[in-house]
Amino acid sequence: MSEQEYLMGNEAMGRGAIEAGVKVVAGYPGTPASEVLEYVSKYPDINAEWCINEKVALEVCMGASLCNTRSLAVMKHNGTNVALDIMMHINYTGVRGGLVMISGDDPGGISSQNEEDSRIITRLDAHLPVFDPWCPQEAKDMIKTAYELSEETELCFVVRPVMRVCHARSKVSMDGMKKGKEPRFEDDRSRFIMSAVKETKAGGTLRPVVRHRWLNEKQSVLNRIMEESSFNHIEDGEGKIGLVACGIGYAFVKEAEKILGKKFPVLKLGTLPLPKNKVLQFARKMDKLVVYEDSEAVVEGLLKQMFFDEDIKVEVMGRSGFLPKEGELSATVVLKSLAELFPELKEKIPATAPLEMKVPIRTRTQCVGCQYRGLLHALKIVAHKYKGVVTGDIGCYDAGSFPPLELQSTIYCMGSSIPMASGIAYSGYDKPVFAIIGDSTFFHNGVLGLLNAIHNGADMVVIVCDNRTTAMTGFQPHPGSDVDVRGEPALAIDVTHLATAAGAASARVVNPYDIPQVTEALEKAVKEKGVSVVVATMPCYLVARRTGELGFTPRKVVLDEDRCNGCKICVTYFGCPAIHFSDGKATIDYGTCVECGMCVEVCKRGAIIWS
Amino acid sequence: MELNILIAGVGGQGNLFASSILAEYLLNKGYEVLAVETIGAAQRGGSVVSHLRVSDAEIYSPLIPAGKVDVLMGFETVEMLRNFELLAGDGMYLLNDYKEPTVLCNMEMDTYPSDEEIMAALKKSGKKGYAIKATECARQIGGSLLTNVVMVGALCQVLPLFDSQEVKQVLAGKSPAKVKEQNLQAFDAGGSLVQEALRRS
Repeated sequence: MSEQEYLMGNEAMGRGAIEAGVKVVAGYPGTPASEVLEYVSKYPDINAEWCINEKVALEVCMGASLCNTRSLAVMKHNGTNVALDIMMHINYTGVRGGLVMISGDDPGGISSQNEEDSRIITRLDAHLPVFDPWCPQEAKDMIKTAYELSEETELCFVVRPVMRVCHARSKVSMDGMKKGKEPRFEDDRSRFIMSAVKETKAGGTLRPVVRHRWLNEKQSVLNRIMEESSFNHIEDGEGKIGLVACGIGYAFVKEAEKILGKKFPVLKLGTLPLPKNKVLQFARKMDKLVVYEDSEAVVEGLLKQMFFDEDIKVEVMGRSGFLPKEGELSATVVLKSLAELFPELKEKIPATAPLEMKVPIRTRTQCVGCQYRGLLHALKIVAHKYKGVVTGDIGCYDAGSFPPLELQSTIYCMGSSIPMASGIAYSGYDKPVFAIIGDSTFFHNGVLGLLNAIHNGADMVVIVCDNRTTAMTGFQPHPGSDVDVRGEPALAIDVTHLATAAGAASARVVNPYDIPQVTEALEKAVKEKGVSVVVATMPCYLVARRTGELGFTPRKVVLDEDRCNGCKICVTYFGCPAIHFSDGKATIDYGTCVECGMCVEVCKRGAIIWS
Repeated sequence: MELNILIAGVGGQGNLFASSILAEYLLNKGYEVLAVETIGAAQRGGSVVSHLRVSDAEIYSPLIPAGKVDVLMGFETVEMLRNFELLAGDGMYLLNDYKEPTVLCNMEMDTYPSDEEIMAALKKSGKKGYAIKATECARQIGGSLLTNVVMVGALCQVLPLFDSQEVKQVLAGKSPAKVKEQNLQAFDAGGSLVQEALRRS
């Protein structure tokens, strides 16, 4: 038996890639998948890098694949959308060195803007083979198998773990590492020049059609492979209602069986395309199938289609209506559904009794000491003064859109704040428009929006929150950081210089802790024509408190109770969690306060003062 | 044997470190361990929950099913109350009597429940449990960041599955040199707090 280590699912997948001899790993940080690349980066022989965005990451990996080396692209589901363009070409050209893509999904949208199911674009759209693991060990095994199959079929393989697989920790087998192949490059323009050119080898048919045919023909190869795959299996059980357990669904179905003390017929599925014969063999014995999958009814739809084609009469139920259509799957969801099908099982479901009291909800906010609380406060003052609109983006500062700040009016996908602000500016709406975007998000996809706005003459203010890290996902470096994923020195790209070079009307650097300075810069920027850029530069507080690069001199503040008139601006407008309010007065929670002193500026009564 | 521990707290309280200490001890003992925590966006002052499942047989779901939580550790009061429903009929709670007001409570748009309300609801639930002032104790030792270790020390005092001395060795091994002494002190303090609570009850 091989040695075992207690690993997180993401680490297990990284380990799988290392054992498979991966040489190039590229990705963009995003919960739930970030730790894969961080784990791999500890191995100095592997080129691991955080890329500017996911499209770039997949392109880097394709380049490595062209040289016959194994590569791994890592992203979350939102990022898979960004990478879709190159994915829709890689599927036609195929790969040389094994190329595996991890697309981490977030059913329930626990750390994301949506709960998209990336099996849809990777499988139903790009027609790539997809593995859907149920636990960290299987995720690791799937990565290793994917490399072998990627080279055998010349296709990019996708592994789609959901958050609870990425973040689950359990014992995982540690096996030997395979040595990577020697790189070599060989031209094959009929494959790697994807263009609407007439293909002489195919009697003048246009190349996209020829390559599309190649991809379609590969599907029968994939069908044969998945038929034999150990990631799919049948378990016998009582009755004629079969449970189809896809990916993490298997964990929840098995848990439900354990709780109920009953063995159902189970079809465990981990691959797309589906193992048709195995599915038919299972379905022919059943009256009804219940499909457990996260988060859309993908397998359910494929089964219905298959049974229609094969003229099999079996009822298929799942997330198209029988199970909840939204939200995360769980053992509890599986148990509830089984109790509906087998009312006698109801009493075996663990009882839960809600506490008889109302529990307040907790919303996310800026950390105590976060420089962006000062920045957001200043922006709120200026935006309110001019009745302006503020468009927002993805990152920590997005908490400015929740109470008590309620500043940003929009948050969509990475980088959308700037083009949306341009659109508002073009609409003829006569109030100023501000886009606020973090530095990592700016490089990811915001920079193009900025160049577009400058070139097309939009009239707007862009605020870049420049904390030199991707703070939201766990402090990963980005092109504006002076280190790489290993902490080695890297060339930092300066946002201010970039904006100036692009022709912004102005590019002002401000200290986000300095509320009057930020306010003044914004006041000037809002009066200018064209695109004015304000760069709020200061290392993330959580990083700075470790490195000693604090953007303020810590100094105790005290409340002068006589001056506090209970206006609550510190609590309901500024919203520092270290300031509480009771009996008509503010109070400082010294257990939480980090002495940034921004509240001294915020309090208009002079009631919060330096000690 | 199956034991499910849920740790509920707010971002920054160190759920993960607490869970990893317990997990390492249990793995050393040869148990199957499956754990998962909410990380990511939840870290920024939001709710954080860690699930830790232990068994001598294979464990499937990384999330503890509702009604199967044997021990609910509340690192913060309302975070524990929020997850109370997941407790098994004979489950117990271990509460850090510490309140971190929510943004909406601070704004008086929501109400943080009073001690009386909380005590009444806990009593009515019929569940057994202990409340200790772990954060207060952690601050006396060296800072609120030690709350997690105080709570782990307390848990080990309550559950026979954990041998306090052995868990302490794991803790020593996993602690950075700088905070090792404080961690060990916090661990012992947690145990004493529970013993006191036991004497009172």
